[in-house]
Amino acid sequence: MLLRRTILASTGGLALTAACLLAGLSPAQAQSSEQASAFVQALGAKLTGIINGPGSTEQKSAALTGIIDADVDVSGVARFVLGRFWGRATPQQQSEYEALFRKVLIASITSKIGDYEGVRFTIGRTTSRPEGEVVSSTIVGPKKPSAGVDWVVNQVNGSPKIVDVVAEGTSLRLTQRADYGSFLAQHQENVQALLDALRRQASANG
Amino acid sequence: MRVPKRTRRWIVVAGLAGWLSSCATPPPPTQPDALAEFQAVNDPAEPFNRAMYAVNTKLDTYVIRPAAVAYTDVLPDGVRHVVHNILGNLRSPVKLGNDMLQGKPQRAGDTLMRFVINTTVGGLGAFDVAKNLGYPDHDTDFGVTLATWGVGSGPYLFLPVLGPGSPRDSSGRIVNIAADPLGRFGQGIAVTALNWSRFTLDLIDARSEYLGTFQQIKRTALDPYATFRSLYRQHRDAQVSETRADNQRTVPAWFPAPAATSSQSPAPAR
Repeated sequence: MLLRRTILASTGGLALTAACLLAGLSPAQAQSSEQASAFVQALGAKLTGIINGPGSTEQKSAALTGIIDADVDVSGVARFVLGRFWGRATPQQQSEYEALFRKVLIASITSKIGDYEGVRFTIGRTTSRPEGEVVSSTIVGPKKPSAGVDWVVNQVNGSPKIVDVVAEGTSLRLTQRADYGSFLAQHQENVQALLDALRRQASANG
Repeated sequence: MRVPKRTRRWIVVAGLAGWLSSCATPPPPTQPDALAEFQAVNDPAEPFNRAMYAVNTKLDTYVIRPAAVAYTDVLPDGVRHVVHNILGNLRSPVKLGNDMLQGKPQRAGDTLMRFVINTTVGGLGAFDVAKNLGYPDHDTDFGVTLATWGVGSGPYLFLPVLGPGSPRDSSGRIVNIAADPLGRFGQGIAVTALNWSRFTLDLIDARSEYLGTFQQIKRTALDPYATFRSLYRQHRDAQVSETRADNQRTVPAWFPAPAATSSQSPAPAR
């Protein structure tokens, strides 16, 4: 029995090594792919559990906010979105921007809870790309056609975090960067104008 | 779908004049990061495009969106789904042509089988029977065909009703409409009316699919024009790379896998 298990394990190990070599990956990379996949799998289970579970919308919003803070690299995404204007902002503007960005992000996600009730989540394969480990998934809504959603996972301070979500080929952080960049171009590249607009948006969302 | 020749010529001349006269000024070379961004955005006709976007927003607010809202309010989900399927099936001949021009025989096979099965068993395209038989749907058009031939997208171009595009993609859409064999059967007022109805219904059907999405973007984006521009570009790029990468064999789900290869590759993943 033990022998059989050992043989199985070693063949499994060999197969894995062969697969890694074939795919041009080091075992470390394969390990981080697996970790990213497990991370997204767990995240998907948590998200669908909250959205489809019992509780009021307020309770669900609070639970989602907790997940966003724990599993999403919010400040990293915020910096990416501001792009070349990050360096031009004063430290005070930077911290105000990060706080407003988080608030607007959370409001935009939690406002959609109702639309996604009954959602199902299936995980697909993981690919290593320069921007991180990309875990693909399929999301099927009750009234919506299925959508392909890729989760980009990076190691941030030693733990995996979501750095981008790519829905049907469109990256959320790239889209938002285009939005803010164009807004700033229309407003003499004045970061304060962006902060004012975000503040209005944050207070409008409640 | 016939517009008098002289009118067409005037539309083209007016469009070109407007486009050329309203070019955005690039930032000076002293600001390399701003210049790089300007080039990446690739929207030299931004003032013209923004004007067209404004026209389209008015048109959408007062005509297209209300029509799409009424359409979803009046007809139940099931009926709209059937209409959506029929409209999609009517696009099959043009899609087949594009699949072939792209050199994708597998995709062409899918499209042909879908058209044959759904038009007959699927009741003139009302029900997507072929999907469950292993012939999945895909989206393509002449713009994608041009892209697979190596034609670059070119600068961004926004046109009323047609929406976001580029010289490549917008002309691709026009070729798509002009090449449709279904638009060439018969003539007379009834046929013209039928073609216009199909065009209108296509527009309303497409718009009704995005009622919530567009509303959400317009509410949350600081600059909706730029957001739509970015989304459109990314979506097109994804569509083109997906087409380029799709070189799978077309083996329907019910087809027995050859014995020699079945031990190595159980079933083609689709």
